[in-house]
Amino acid sequence: MIQLNIFSFSLIFSLLFTISITNAIEIPEKFQKSNHTNNWAVLVDTSRFWFNYRHVANVLSIYRSVKRLGIPDSQIILMISDDMACNPRNPRPATIFNNAHEQINVYGDDVEVDYRGYEVSVENFVRLLTGRVPPDTPRSKRLLTDEGSNILIYLTGHGGDGFLKFQDSEEITSQELADALEQMWQKRRYNEIFFIIDTCQASSMYEKFYSPNILATASSLVGEDSLSHHVDSAIGVYIIDRYTYYVLEFLENVHPNSKKTMSEFLAVCPKSACLSTVGVRRDLFKRDPSKVPITDFFGSVRPVIITTDPIDIQEIPKRRKSQSINKTKVPEKREYLPQFPMHLVQTNNY
Amino acid sequence: MFKSGIFNIFLTLLIQIKGDDFKEEIFIKPLPPSHLYVDFHFITLVNGEESFEHSYLAPRSLGEIMSRYQVDELHLTLTEGQWKHNQWGYPVLDAAPGAELYAWFNTDVIDVDIQWKKLSSTLSGLFCASLNFIETFNTITPKMSLWPTGAQKPKQNYTSQLRYASLPREIVCTENLTPWKKLLPCESTHGFSSLLNSRMIHNTNYHSIGVHVRRMCVDNNCLETNLEIKQTVALVYDFKIINSMDWSFRKLFGQGLPGACPLSSSSKIYVDTTSNSTYRFKLTPEPNLILLSQRGGSETELAVYNINNSIMMNIVAKYETKSKLFVNIPPPLSFTRYVLGYGKEFGGIVTELTNNYWAPIDVVLLENAPWWLPIQLSSLRVNGEAESKLILSQYYSPGRSRQKPYHLELLLHLPPKSTTTLTIDFEFVFLKWQEYPPDANHGFYIGSALISANLPTAKNYTSLPITGNTFDSIVNASKPWYPMVFRTNGAMVSLPTPDFSMPYNVICLACTVVALAFGPLNNICTKELVLKAPGTSISLRQKILNMFKKKKD
Repeated sequence: MIQLNIFSFSLIFSLLFTISITNAIEIPEKFQKSNHTNNWAVLVDTSRFWFNYRHVANVLSIYRSVKRLGIPDSQIILMISDDMACNPRNPRPATIFNNAHEQINVYGDDVEVDYRGYEVSVENFVRLLTGRVPPDTPRSKRLLTDEGSNILIYLTGHGGDGFLKFQDSEEITSQELADALEQMWQKRRYNEIFFIIDTCQASSMYEKFYSPNILATASSLVGEDSLSHHVDSAIGVYIIDRYTYYVLEFLENVHPNSKKTMSEFLAVCPKSACLSTVGVRRDLFKRDPSKVPITDFFGSVRPVIITTDPIDIQEIPKRRKSQSINKTKVPEKREYLPQFPMHLVQTNNY
Repeated sequence: MFKSGIFNIFLTLLIQIKGDDFKEEIFIKPLPPSHLYVDFHFITLVNGEESFEHSYLAPRSLGEIMSRYQVDELHLTLTEGQWKHNQWGYPVLDAAPGAELYAWFNTDVIDVDIQWKKLSSTLSGLFCASLNFIETFNTITPKMSLWPTGAQKPKQNYTSQLRYASLPREIVCTENLTPWKKLLPCESTHGFSSLLNSRMIHNTNYHSIGVHVRRMCVDNNCLETNLEIKQTVALVYDFKIINSMDWSFRKLFGQGLPGACPLSSSSKIYVDTTSNSTYRFKLTPEPNLILLSQRGGSETELAVYNINNSIMMNIVAKYETKSKLFVNIPPPLSFTRYVLGYGKEFGGIVTELTNNYWAPIDVVLLENAPWWLPIQLSSLRVNGEAESKLILSQYYSPGRSRQKPYHLELLLHLPPKSTTTLTIDFEFVFLKWQEYPPDANHGFYIGSALISANLPTAKNYTSLPITGNTFDSIVNASKPWYPMVFRTNGAMVSLPTPDFSMPYNVICLACTVVALAFGPLNNICTKELVLKAPGTSISLRQKILNMFKKKKD
């Protein structure tokens, strides 16, 4: 109930001050705190083919960071379009590095990829976000978020003004993405979203957003290209993109208890380093990014309730014993079968 | 340390009371002159037939799937690379490149296809593999080539409860090994599974991870059964990759063996030293035991290490003679498969089966062609002839577009010392625009054919007998027949692939042509050409008319 009050309160606030929310009006400290209850991450690499190695390295860099900062694998949806780690062209199998000096193996030893290869398509991505997956979809391929979820969405791939290519064969437009997020909002599938996109003309992807509580950042503005960082001559391809390289460098210094804020994250790659302007959209986001801890999106909440009074644990209803025990089971003799259609052979041979 | 020791003892006691049993084994066989075969087996035996509400050593996530979907027997393998039967002999368990899944459902299951779809989707989540691509159009029900390996109730129709599918395109990488390791009681922290370091095991010529679940008899009476969950990893190392013929655990796995899993009842390493007579090598430390096995006319020597402590150890093999000519003796049955034809209209698949043995061998060949590669029974030729006495029985089920694959099974009687060539033609089918994968120009994979053979000899045969679950069961296990299911190599065809940028090109080109043509044509049609001598003055009326004309424009 209290939560609901705060919620409606903040909604009224946001309605009143959406336009001049930036710095003109101080938002009370109380509302600067997030009231999310769980954290999720959707990390998508949309490019196939070996020469797009850097996009896989990008997405795995973020995966490594969110996992290190505490989001469990069950709450990370990782989509990778192609297999770079075990690609025959990779001279160091089962590894993907973030730079040519092989400092960080972003693939790690316990990576869990939820959607891979041909499964990474626009349809699957939109279905995942909106929750309209086929009935037999396993848990690891569902985004089981609720109205208390803070979601980190990271996309990387090849894009243009208003679209992002998936696997070189289809694309998602910025309008489709905005509509999917709106559907999520209407279905109460999130509390807040932090949207990061690393692609050419990236900021065009978030310009159409119209749902509340989304903070978005992009590696480049419309009309700019996002550039890669450096080549690894051992594998012959660009190894990581500039924006994500500096993001990973920044995130490596973040710890689950650190006090770094989102505004520090948003300023992570200045134009001198990125060679493109990092775009930020904060008009949909109610809170002041300089007061939002980075762990609100990159870490995971572990709600701890401290109580001094004894808690009365109600009696758990006992499971019904399966009825098969009551039945007297007649043991049935079993046997191993011949592993060959002998009945068809013997008539002919013997 | 002391505490954890007590805890381990307590756990072991608890588990022994419950009757769950876990064993781990490594089988190492040098494949001279250039390869080394390492096979890991992790066997969990679960007592009784109860559902998985509680589990001790067995992975509950897998057990729940088995009981929920009423699966009697399950085989799943994820493989990268191709086992070379002619060079390497026979593996303990063969696997098709890519993903392969087959399962027998309980006879109580009525709609097997629905359960099958649910099972494959659930397993795709459990093993991070794209098994959800298994649909009705790539599933078949083999009639003769696959038989349940578990103990079965007699006189039941097993065949109708079986479903088989393979995904030859599936990639296998760390993300599959990670969840696989999590099913083990010691995960990857202790015991043999700690050797499975993804960086080392993906640096091999062939690697295959698998999960095999079946029911095993408790005793000879077989009134009670145990559930056996066997997890396997097969690796073939190339001496060129590890840079020397001498191998050691440190070289193969990047680390020494940190001892046995405290929860296992037996942890053993078997090294096949049969090739020691020709390729002499020395094992350090000395094995605990040397086993001699005579099985089906072949002799095998096994060096056994019994691991029961948690002291770091490293088994090293050092070869004494390095350069020696090697004569490859082919196994009793060998086979190859390749694609015929040119152009984008017709083609053919050829399967060659060679019987190198002096006695006839009966085999079942299963060809499984996707719907987009229709094979017709009428085009089947055995050694070039349409009618052949070699075919003892056959089953053919034609496919249906986008619904059902083509399925052909032949029971063949291969004469001694002969090669039998089977040819079947196919035609290429045009796919719909949306059905092409993003990398259509890469080509389309055809799954392996299954060859189920009833071998009369155990030469090169390393598989366990059906009644056994550990490697000691192969010692002196002579049987009249040695059944084995082989997988041939897969194949790749390039379907007629359209130029996907063509519509765009056509639009651009057509628009340019239309624009270029329209201008002059419009000019010619709308403008009047009037010949005028230079210098003639224009009348006032003409001037006014010209002004109007300009305005109109």
